[in-house]
Amino acid sequence: MSSAMTGQAKAGTPAGRSRLSAFGSAFVAGGYTMYPVLALLVLVGAVVAPNFATGINLINILEQVSVLGLTTIGLTFVVLIGRLDLSLEGIVGFAPMLAAVCLVPATAGGFGIELPSWMGLVVALGTAGLIGYFNGFMVVRVGLNPFISTLGLLVLLRGGVLIVSNGRSIYSPGPALTYLGSAKLLGLPVSVLVFAFVAVAIGLVFKYHRYGRALYAIGGNEDAARAAGINVDRVIWSAFVYAGLLAGLAGVLMTGRLDSAVTTQGQGIIFSAFAAAVIGGVSLGGGRGTMVGLVSGVLLIGVINNLLTLAQVPSFYVQASTGAVIIVAAVLTTVASRRSSGVRTRT
Amino acid sequence: MDRTQPIVEMRNISKTFGSTKALRGVDFTVMHGEVHALLGRNGAGKSTLVSTMSGLVASDTGTIRISRTEVAANGQPYAARIRDDIAHVQQTPQLFNLLTVAENLFLENPLVRRKFGIVSHRRMMSEAQALLDKWNIDIRAEALAGELSAGTRQLLEIMKALSRGVPVIILDEPTAALSNAEKRMLFEQVKALKALGISFIYISHHLDEVFEVADTVTILRDGQVVKEREDVGNLNVELIADLMMGEKTARSVRVDHTQADAPVLLQARGIGLYPVSAEGVDFEIRPGEIVALAGPVGGGKEALAMMLAGQLTPYKGKVSGAGGTLPTIGLVPTDRHASGYVGILGVRENVAIGGLDVLSGRFGFIDLDKEAAHVGNLARQTNVIASSLEQAVSQLSGGNQQKVVFARALCQNPQVIVALSPTRGVDVGAKEQLYALLRDLASKGLGVIVVSDEEDEISQLANRVVIVFEGRITGELRGDYTMKDLILRMEGVA
Repeated sequence: MSSAMTGQAKAGTPAGRSRLSAFGSAFVAGGYTMYPVLALLVLVGAVVAPNFATGINLINILEQVSVLGLTTIGLTFVVLIGRLDLSLEGIVGFAPMLAAVCLVPATAGGFGIELPSWMGLVVALGTAGLIGYFNGFMVVRVGLNPFISTLGLLVLLRGGVLIVSNGRSIYSPGPALTYLGSAKLLGLPVSVLVFAFVAVAIGLVFKYHRYGRALYAIGGNEDAARAAGINVDRVIWSAFVYAGLLAGLAGVLMTGRLDSAVTTQGQGIIFSAFAAAVIGGVSLGGGRGTMVGLVSGVLLIGVINNLLTLAQVPSFYVQASTGAVIIVAAVLTTVASRRSSGVRTRT
Repeated sequence: MDRTQPIVEMRNISKTFGSTKALRGVDFTVMHGEVHALLGRNGAGKSTLVSTMSGLVASDTGTIRISRTEVAANGQPYAARIRDDIAHVQQTPQLFNLLTVAENLFLENPLVRRKFGIVSHRRMMSEAQALLDKWNIDIRAEALAGELSAGTRQLLEIMKALSRGVPVIILDEPTAALSNAEKRMLFEQVKALKALGISFIYISHHLDEVFEVADTVTILRDGQVVKEREDVGNLNVELIADLMMGEKTARSVRVDHTQADAPVLLQARGIGLYPVSAEGVDFEIRPGEIVALAGPVGGGKEALAMMLAGQLTPYKGKVSGAGGTLPTIGLVPTDRHASGYVGILGVRENVAIGGLDVLSGRFGFIDLDKEAAHVGNLARQTNVIASSLEQAVSQLSGGNQQKVVFARALCQNPQVIVALSPTRGVDVGAKEQLYALLRDLASKGLGVIVVSDEEDEISQLANRVVIVFEGRITGELRGDYTMKDLILRMEGVA
């Protein structure tokens, strides 16, 4: 390609300078913006909190963020196409709860149908997928604004959890449902491995699969994607299904870690997921965001929470300072992306 | 004020858009109580001239005097200063769809305003109803503007302008969406207001209308006046066509690669362009053929193209390929900013989304080597100039953006390409490159369908011209047609 000819290149800029700015653009576009911040935070943490930089604690952080991570990846599917899905939070709580009440005997608070244990995962993920399908239907076919339709569903699912569980948590729902969230493999929690595997696989899909290309195209300009021959409706619909499935998986991990399906499970996670996505450079306007960046957002939230806890900051302050960090990080990401690409994006 | 003095006086008006000189030193005057028709081909500068008059577009040079207000133009906005002297009805209605008819009619109108900016609803409704009665239009004042038919919306826009009580009114192609009955109503109102001393500037592509309502005619060509203030009685259709056409400048000419014996690539049988169109439209295209769809705005040429491209479902009838299967079709949509490119993505990604079927291998993953090679080839073929294939398309010039859209349309290796307004807002150089590209594609056996409003473009490209009007094909030109034939067909006189 004609690499020299361009109307935009500033004439007379030294080659070194432009190579640096090209590196800067690639750095930001690739989603690496927050990694220096993350590294700095880890360094500071290691100095101020002696318990921080231990293998156990770091694995602990990873284990804690895997649920948030999967939810954020799910959310990113719909955010990339310029939509959103608040009901993911409801799915995190509802899908494993429904599975649990199908498994345990009536005396332990179940429905009394006592499905075989392996059905637990099928029920949880099946429910999550169906809820996602319903969301897609509402948005694509009925034409609802996803904010309002998924908000309604979120509230509905929260109530649904209380209805199916009779307001009580279900303990020890069975190995199939708890394995992923509680077992260890090669010294690492399975939940961390699941998060890592999903992140890599879907990262590849975002970047190199035709489905990923379609997501970015739709988020950037839906009409152009349609004119290019992309089946826009099907992609939007399926994005909601994938988002639901990943939230369901996140819920299963959470249930596994606690060895119980708790009625309050997942509450507030959608806010953290949005924060992680935005910190990681995923544009809420759609069309922008990478897996690399998203993971940095998730890790950043995990590290901050962990550090504040280790530093024995009172829990009220933990919440408030997480909020402040979100705002600072969002500003940083927005400024960095505007500086590097010249394109104005609203995170 | 002296009635013998002109009410509008424009001197030395120039306007440049990017690299295009839309107006070069135009003088234009309008007298009291005159209907002054402004004629010229598409792109001659008619709409730009009236836009500088109303301040919608700020003129770069010259002076504009309307009634007692005088403006020395320097490219800065001046619309607010002449707002009370002139009304401008644009080609497409600028109405608020979610407001009612009455609200649209009396928006920002002092007639219904009370103290502290409070709008008198009762006053507004009664005034609106009176206006509707006067025009004898059977709609409710409480109806939402978005619910109305295209013709009614156009009339509403005109009524809004006429009721503002300004001395000068611009009507830019007011009849494009109007039925014959609605046209009659419009002409009556124009004549009545003219008798009261109101002046009109009237732009139309229908010369018969000009002979009916206009007193004076000014003709523009390539941003310059070629006939100033001629009495309409001294003109006829032939003369006007000659003046509009001018001498031929050296431009590339069309070439015919039509493979007349080859089987039809794409055909439409009895398709309905409108929900209630009585008769269906038949259309076919052969390999190597360049067909232009022309006709007035809203006449159905765009709908036909989108149905052929598979983007719209015909209201009846069927679009099919040679052996029953549809060929691969590449689409260049009409408005590249709205539906052409994805601005935040790079050239490579923009081109590749047009050919995901071709570029992805097993399991749907993109073959990166193939992508780089294919996109690189297309970018060369379409002459895209960018700092790299990763440069965001929003940063490219208009011409290069359009080339990216062409490259995307070609990415799937289509057999038919449908291009709507292929060179809108593109400079002359890029225009010729795109024409050469389309001819080259035709020579390789592609079928090319072009939708265009520009006579030059059509005559430089099309081996066959299909005129689409009111949802029907009303005419066809083949092979050796002349520019004059074309202009007369497109102006709706032949």
